[in-house]
Amino acid sequence: MLAFRSEATVERWCELRGVARGATFAIEQALELGRAWHADRLSPDWRRATPAEAQAIFASVGLTGDFWRLG
Amino acid sequence: MSKIAAVSEALDRDVRLCVYDRFLETGEPPTVQDVAGALGIGEKDAEASFRRLEADHVLVLAPGTLNIWMAAPLSASPTAFRVSTPGGAWWGNCVWDAFGIPAMLGSDAVIATADPATGEPFDLRVHEGKLDPVEAVAHFAVPARCWWDNIGYT
Repeated sequence: MLAFRSEATVERWCELRGVARGATFAIEQALELGRAWHADRLSPDWRRATPAEAQAIFASVGLTGDFWRLG
Repeated sequence: MSKIAAVSEALDRDVRLCVYDRFLETGEPPTVQDVAGALGIGEKDAEASFRRLEADHVLVLAPGTLNIWMAAPLSASPTAFRVSTPGGAWWGNCVWDAFGIPAMLGSDAVIATADPATGEPFDLRVHEGKLDPVEAVAHFAVPARCWWDNIGYT
């Protein structure tokens, strides 16, 4: 997942790379995703999220739809 | 859970915590030998734990080696995301992970990156859990169900 200055530069990058556009979303959602996913990473009790838990985390930061479906 | 499975689970937890401790302290991931020495265990046990953690997608090893490539959110290799905090600087695997580093540490951070299309450098500044205003968007090239087909390109 990369950070771009704008949707226009995402489009340009996809053209340059010859790849299909994926999913573009607000940088603040990436911040929230980073927090929800990693905040407890150093806890002895940390465990990897199950697919259902991961899906719920995506939804909690507004990342929904087929692109974000894990299964 | 069997006794053997419980022992492996406890060992894997200790190995995981040791990996993160060393990675955060030195800026580089520890080797199997480093972890074995730190925990006072045999290298074969440490290696087996590295492989279980890789299979569970907790660690990513460089292909064909036992060298840690990713212990998310940290990357052993330079990336487009240099994350500087008051306590040190590390590479994030992607922008999601770059934001995960200050979240994991409970600290502020400045994430230095560049627009992949134009090369224009810019910073993402996290202060007390909030992002300073910035003109930026995030882009995932690969759908979620395919990420682990090639975790180095998402």
